[in-house]
Amino acid sequence: MTSSTSTTGPAGTAGAALFGTVLVANRGEIAVRIIRTLRELGVRSAAAFTEADAGARHVREADTAVRVGSYLSATDQVRAAAAVGAGAVHPGYGFLAENAGFARACAEAGLVFIGPPAAAIELMGDKIRAKETVEAAGVPVVPGSSGSGLSDSELAEAAREIGLPVLLKPSAGGGGKGMRLVRDPAALPEEIAAARREALGSFGDDTLLVERWIDRPRHIEIQVLADAHGQVVHLGERECSLQRRHQKLIEEAPSVLLDPATRAAMGEAAVQAARSCGYTGAGTVEFIVPGADPSAYFFMEMNTRLQVEHPVTEFVTGLDLVAWQLRVAAGERLDFGQQDVTLTGHAVEARICAETARAADGRVDFLPSAGPVLALHEPAGRPGVRVDSGLLAGTEVGTAYDPMLAKVIAHGPDRATALRRLRAALAETVVLGLDTNTAFLRRLLEHPAVAAGELDTGLIEREAAALVPGGVPDEVYAAAALLRQAALAPAPGPDGWTDPFSAASGWRLGGEPAWTVHHLRVPGHEPVAVRVRQGEVRIGDGPATAAAVSLDGPRAQLHTGGLVHTFVHAGDWLGREGESWWVQPYDPVAAALRGAALGAGGGALTAPMPGTVTVVKVAKGEDVVAGQSLLVVEAMKMEHVITAPHDGTVTEIDVGAGSTVAMDQVLAVVTPAEPPGGAQAAADGRPGEAP
Amino acid sequence: MAAPALSSAADPASEAFRVNTQAHTALSAALRDKLAAARLGGGEKARVRHTARGKLLPRDRVDGLLDPGSPFLELAPLAADGMYEGQAPAAGVIAGIGRVAGREVVVVANDATVKGGTYYPMTVKKHLRAQEVALDNRLPCVYLVDSGGAFLPRQDEVFPDRDHFGRIFYNQATMSARGIPQIAAVLGSCTAGGAYVPAMSDEAVIVRNQGTIFLGGPPLVKAATGEVVTAEELGGGEVHSRVSGVTDHLAEDDAHALSIVRDIVATLPARGAPPWTLRPAEEPAVDPAGLYGAVPVDSRTPYDVREVIARLVDGSRFAEFKAEYGTTLVTGFAHLHGHPVGIVANNGILFAESALKGAHFIELCDQRGIPLLFLQNISGFMVGRQYEAGGIAKHGAKMVTAVACARVPKLTVVIGGSYGAGNYSMCGRAYSPRFLWMWPNAKISVMGGEQAASVLATVKRDQLAAAGEKWSEEAEEAFKQPVREQYETQGNAYYATARLWDDGVIDPLETRTVLGLALTACANAPLPTADPAAPGYGVFRM
Repeated sequence: MTSSTSTTGPAGTAGAALFGTVLVANRGEIAVRIIRTLRELGVRSAAAFTEADAGARHVREADTAVRVGSYLSATDQVRAAAAVGAGAVHPGYGFLAENAGFARACAEAGLVFIGPPAAAIELMGDKIRAKETVEAAGVPVVPGSSGSGLSDSELAEAAREIGLPVLLKPSAGGGGKGMRLVRDPAALPEEIAAARREALGSFGDDTLLVERWIDRPRHIEIQVLADAHGQVVHLGERECSLQRRHQKLIEEAPSVLLDPATRAAMGEAAVQAARSCGYTGAGTVEFIVPGADPSAYFFMEMNTRLQVEHPVTEFVTGLDLVAWQLRVAAGERLDFGQQDVTLTGHAVEARICAETARAADGRVDFLPSAGPVLALHEPAGRPGVRVDSGLLAGTEVGTAYDPMLAKVIAHGPDRATALRRLRAALAETVVLGLDTNTAFLRRLLEHPAVAAGELDTGLIEREAAALVPGGVPDEVYAAAALLRQAALAPAPGPDGWTDPFSAASGWRLGGEPAWTVHHLRVPGHEPVAVRVRQGEVRIGDGPATAAAVSLDGPRAQLHTGGLVHTFVHAGDWLGREGESWWVQPYDPVAAALRGAALGAGGGALTAPMPGTVTVVKVAKGEDVVAGQSLLVVEAMKMEHVITAPHDGTVTEIDVGAGSTVAMDQVLAVVTPAEPPGGAQAAADGRPGEAP
Repeated sequence: MAAPALSSAADPASEAFRVNTQAHTALSAALRDKLAAARLGGGEKARVRHTARGKLLPRDRVDGLLDPGSPFLELAPLAADGMYEGQAPAAGVIAGIGRVAGREVVVVANDATVKGGTYYPMTVKKHLRAQEVALDNRLPCVYLVDSGGAFLPRQDEVFPDRDHFGRIFYNQATMSARGIPQIAAVLGSCTAGGAYVPAMSDEAVIVRNQGTIFLGGPPLVKAATGEVVTAEELGGGEVHSRVSGVTDHLAEDDAHALSIVRDIVATLPARGAPPWTLRPAEEPAVDPAGLYGAVPVDSRTPYDVREVIARLVDGSRFAEFKAEYGTTLVTGFAHLHGHPVGIVANNGILFAESALKGAHFIELCDQRGIPLLFLQNISGFMVGRQYEAGGIAKHGAKMVTAVACARVPKLTVVIGGSYGAGNYSMCGRAYSPRFLWMWPNAKISVMGGEQAASVLATVKRDQLAAAGEKWSEEAEEAFKQPVREQYETQGNAYYATARLWDDGVIDPLETRTVLGLALTACANAPLPTADPAAPGYGVFRM
């Protein structure tokens, strides 16, 4: 922990204490983290919470809590602040943190908004104005065409001016659609024509922009801190190149890419950017940096709030950024200058998210997951390890909010030590009851490129398939089956007697007990039949091997083949070294019946993730063709379109728009139009052959 | 009950202990081999053919029906052993008691790999015995049917008599009348008389494209009327579930059918409270593993039967009754797997006193509602002028009366010899014990082979003498040897179990488990003494 240092002693917190009570208008780990600093500063904390979060950890840890209809409702939050008599509001990140309207609403209600002035939020929120503003302040931006409606020759000219390679982007576009990368100047005319056609086809508008293409781009951001008296310092950089779908997963400080001169230059650029918008408080200036040439950094945007990854900066600077946010908001001056900022050692953060990795066709989909937290162990307390978490055993993780559950941050004198500590901390982390990316993070940190610091924003997408294990280890099935076997034997009745027929021994005359079959299924994997009899386990058609399981509280130890495998277990979950498996019971009879009812071709469409059905496009009895989209399931900001697997008739539709669905829940059934071999073949379908 | 704990006097270091252990180990190994062979049913080819049709093997059906991990107390697994030229392992049917949906049921499963599951005489006897167990203990019956009906070449031994094929359906009707559920799953053929198994059941399941029920199969129909029809059209699952109503549930395959049966059992009304007070079970204090060494294989070698009791009962605790009187019969109270039991165990030949003591003790147990356990190792009642004059016949009769009329469950284990009237007074098969097992070393016959040979030789010699003929010693020996051999063969435990004279040959080390399960099964039925109209005792000859 680095929350108290020579520069943020209690003596300097008089201003913040004036707030009396601070409303934390957020949830999850960041709310918990803010409450911690409030407590250290002797400021009363009030947690805002929605109905779904009534039992959440931030509610428990705050001094008081107040219900709001939505975290996104500025009105609710302002009303909540009034209800608890708060003098200030900390917005955290996300939700209303970069909402200028909220900052103004706070001011109008006489509340101090702990963040920059509304005008700064507004300015930096407008990507084009932000770029123009910082460019004017001398901060380098990604070179690109200015103005719209450029002709083909103007575009080509702009491209040559910017320097190749360039990216041609449809002005009306988004999501990467219609973008074309051009490396050869000779190909420009042809590519521009093609990009126009595509843009016209996709968006009905063939206006194009051209921008410098950055090869192997790295995401490096500078933390700045500004007081209301004109003093701005930067607190060094964070490298956030390990991203997936623009979501950061691993962040570190400092970046291995920067030398002191570049760091100083980028830091100065960031300070200029902050000054250019009249910034106060903690903010982050994001840069994109070509992997091959770190001196060529370009401004991307400024985040006018506390960042998720702020703890790595706190570790290396020894500053408590939340404390400084409060002090600045209270009008205090920064009591140190740029020359006082030193970076000590190295810190790395990993974000633990509620998500399921599904590998298919060489790529990996990460889907939001949900479930109850059945067992929880966080590695807090290890040397150099910090855990910022919103998790609490016994609570439910839903899909209504951000899937990030917790952050594990490790600090060490050097990068190798920090990485090693982080890997060890992740291995110790246990979250059972829902899928998390903990083990994925651990494997990612072990990747040679990551260990070597050769990072870029495309690394995860390229390597993900290799980082998601293909199968479930046999010992998981063995342990799960043995635990189930042990659970079969009931406790004695009130008279202390146990019916010997309930012994679950598989006892038979002649000394050879019968195998007890446990049909198990880990989501995303084929079902497996595990046979158990006294002291032996058989997995599928594998050989019988000696195995036994011993229990010690939540720990289950599997003894087999001279090895002891240790798991943590809770409910149907087993966890080990950051990995977790939901080993569910599986009913082959029910599955076969479902398969038979659908015919040989299958046809049950299941939810790929827990979420909400937003659109239902077909009705029962409707004929559909293969690939036709039938309904849309949304969770978080991801939409999954469920399409017909084959031509046929919708024979079942179990959900409507607005239905909340669990993962693997059957949404609809499409019965194939003409099953091969006719109805008789379908009826002959043997169990186990259902898809 | 703070009954005193028995200890063992057997010395594990002794030569006798070593010899006994060796002999019992060999006997148990032979038993295991026989059981393993019987478990394979009709052999590899038939099993492959069976599974190729998508059918589960009969033992897999039983395992799939039972609750996960449930023990299965199999009845007569070696029925028909050595009979019918070895063509009918286990008599082609699996029977036993196991747990389904949390309650004990009797399962009868045809083995179609054995002559298409047809009924040999011993198949009928075993099926009827399983039904008797269900009736005595009020256990629901589940029939997993896959049988071609009566084995036609032996129709005279399976069809006409009282305890032949028809009795199966009589039992189904009368058990159903008594509220003992009858459930059938048709997993294969159910031809001719066999068609009545599902038809007579309270609820029946059939597997589509696999189970068939008809009084006359397609060949018979063609012969009789010329109609050409497939088995499925004639009596398949669709016909019987949709048209005829012979079955109530249509399953897609064996596993589905078994799951439907489990669901049916789950809907049955709960069983009654146990008829006696149960307590936590406790392992014997004397290690049961020493049974092999403590018990001589030859029943003629005397030993203290308390060595056996100590290794069977909870905590080895035994509250002995009349310890000093009639010492050749050991009687007393104990618990076994938490069930109270009154034990009657032979410790030598029966004298008048032992018989009186036995009769007294049996009455006590009957009065108190305590199940009886007979540990049988008896060469008979004492003979001789003095004993006949002392009325040993009437004293023996008192014990036989007590055994016959006792209304509590009786369990018998033949741990040594079972000869003559000793068999009667110690609750032999004719006295309707709820269950009866034999150890592999046990012998059963009206008298010992040597005695029989001597008696017959004496009669013969007297006849020859009357005719003035001489009988050389060699000739007499040549006369006696086949008699001895006949008794040796017919008195063997496997000969007995093949003919359903018992419910199975069991490894002595499995006795405690078997008895625990059996007593638990018995506890499903209320005590007849609960009914004031229940008959009491006959006249004791005084």
